[in-house]
Amino acid sequence: MTKKTFVIDNNTGIHARPASLFVQAAAKFKSKVEITAKGRTIDAKSIIMVMGMGLVKGTEVTISAEGPDEKTAVKDLVALVLSFKENDKE
Amino acid sequence: MKQRFKGQGVIAGIGVGKILRANENLDEYLKSYIPSFVEEEREKVDKALKDVQEYLFTRAEALRRDGLTEQGAILEAHAMIVADPVMRENVLSKIDATGNSLRAVLNAAEDQAAVFESMEDEYFRARAVDFRDVGKRIARAIIGAPEREIGDEPVILCGHEIEPSYIANLKKGQIAGILLGAGSTTAHAVIIAKAQAIPAIVGAEEAVAAILDGEEALMDGETGEIITGPTDEERAAYEEKARKAAAMKAHYIKLKDLPSVTEDGRKVILAANIGVPGDMETAIEYGAEGVGLFRTEFLFMGRESLPGEEEQFAAYKDVAEKAKGKLTIIRTMDIGGDKPLSYLEIPKEDNPFLGYRALRVSLKRRDLFLPQLKAALRAGLYGKVAIMFPMIISVQEFLRAKEFVEEAKKELTKEKKEFKDTPLGIMVETPAAAMTAGSLAKYADFFSIGSNDLVQYTLAVDRSNSEISHLYNHFHPAVLKLVQQTIGAAKEHGIMAGMCGEMASDPRAAVLLLAMGIDELSMSAPSIPEVKERVRSVTMDEAKELLRKALSFEDGESVKNYLEGQI
Repeated sequence: MTKKTFVIDNNTGIHARPASLFVQAAAKFKSKVEITAKGRTIDAKSIIMVMGMGLVKGTEVTISAEGPDEKTAVKDLVALVLSFKENDKE
Repeated sequence: MKQRFKGQGVIAGIGVGKILRANENLDEYLKSYIPSFVEEEREKVDKALKDVQEYLFTRAEALRRDGLTEQGAILEAHAMIVADPVMRENVLSKIDATGNSLRAVLNAAEDQAAVFESMEDEYFRARAVDFRDVGKRIARAIIGAPEREIGDEPVILCGHEIEPSYIANLKKGQIAGILLGAGSTTAHAVIIAKAQAIPAIVGAEEAVAAILDGEEALMDGETGEIITGPTDEERAAYEEKARKAAAMKAHYIKLKDLPSVTEDGRKVILAANIGVPGDMETAIEYGAEGVGLFRTEFLFMGRESLPGEEEQFAAYKDVAEKAKGKLTIIRTMDIGGDKPLSYLEIPKEDNPFLGYRALRVSLKRRDLFLPQLKAALRAGLYGKVAIMFPMIISVQEFLRAKEFVEEAKKELTKEKKEFKDTPLGIMVETPAAAMTAGSLAKYADFFSIGSNDLVQYTLAVDRSNSEISHLYNHFHPAVLKLVQQTIGAAKEHGIMAGMCGEMASDPRAAVLLLAMGIDELSMSAPSIPEVKERVRSVTMDEAKELLRKALSFEDGESVKNYLEGQI
């Protein structure tokens, strides 16, 4: 299993639109992908679960993946979340 | 029926159109719906989920193709919610409990909405509407209710909250305005309105409760005014306003890249007042040269404890970078008893505007002041930052503030954090500061006249009091004299003199200020083009003549009337 822990840094967190981008990206990987935050672990390929985590700015999250493409999955998904920062409009 | 309402205008512009109530009530359907066998109810759900999903993905793509990327992205998120196996499971488990597919879908969506509504973050709370909207959409598919016919006419969307599917069903350019009952500015509707410059009013609960579907309405996204059932004259007036605003905007965009200099070449910096880092976008759009007033109150509001250094540093750095080397003036905390914050421990006061507020608080609260100063000093590395102190009435206070800055620097050095020395200025907003500007100018690196408070304190007029608001006038001779004296003192000591406050955004006043020697005018960004146009239309000799004449009147009204006639 590969995993990485970091802090959500974009102003609006992972609400509807960022969550949909994230879940679409996660769905492309064969590996099982999960998000752990606030003591809970959820399926990163479910937009309802991802939105329901309430990942606001400043939340510490761990993205973990298990499967054939786990390394790329974690690397790409972490990069994606960090890139939301650049789109901060508000 | 003819009625007038008022809300909070958030996106300027004139909207003329038919009201479209944008949240649907499915209670009637729910009452008359007769469920069949459980197996059949499950099949209905599966078919509805599949149909809605397809529809939403197709619509999302169509919107994107039309260049409506915001709407497209929202509908795509909705499509993914519908496609999520979690959605199906939730609904199916509710069917087991109720035997009714329609109720199951609406309940499942409501459960999910409730989860979001209980969240602390405003953005997440605003997502409850997405789930309700998705639920209703699936429910409509189950009963085979058709998509609502909306036609091609311009509409003003109206609702306590606006369900995104309404926005998505409209054609490009069809939304003439948005009227939101809720006060949230993070609703999808407002985000979309911002992206497409659609006039929007929030907090219009009263209007939303009273206005009927299909009524004709007028709205002004600047003043927050809403008129339903308008007379022909009112309609004509609004249409004329809308035409003028559109022509004005086109004209102003042309002005954006032209320099703010008088006809004979005297330069004045036109900067923006901002409240949050996100305002920089509008500031840049209107051609602002830097930030003349960065109000930092947003960092302190709506929370239970003081904001930390890192959080403030991130915000200041963001703005300093976006200002791209242009001056960014950060004003330290300006809160008092009128906006009680539990952690500030300001007791209720009879006179909060003459009370324990702004710098008076900062100087007593090291835990508040030092992190703010440290954050601002560190942001100095990312642009041209300056720090300004509000509510000063004496040299001593400014010197005390400077000592704090020295202490902040010492702490930063000790903590091995890099920073840059920044100019320290005074927000001249009390008559005391204006009268003693000559002394203050010896110590300060710059002045920025805070005209709103200066007028209020000089004239003893609270302009939010409608009984006396007509007495509020920045052309009152007492105000003009104080302003002139302040600018004169700055010139004499060779420091920059600016103004932030509404007077700076008044083109009539701008000319007088130019003649007095002002270096910088800072205002809400949309006012910049109008002021720039006025600046570019005069010579310094003309400005000086206008000032001479303006100072000869004995009351503010006469000054105003005179200047009105000169444009």
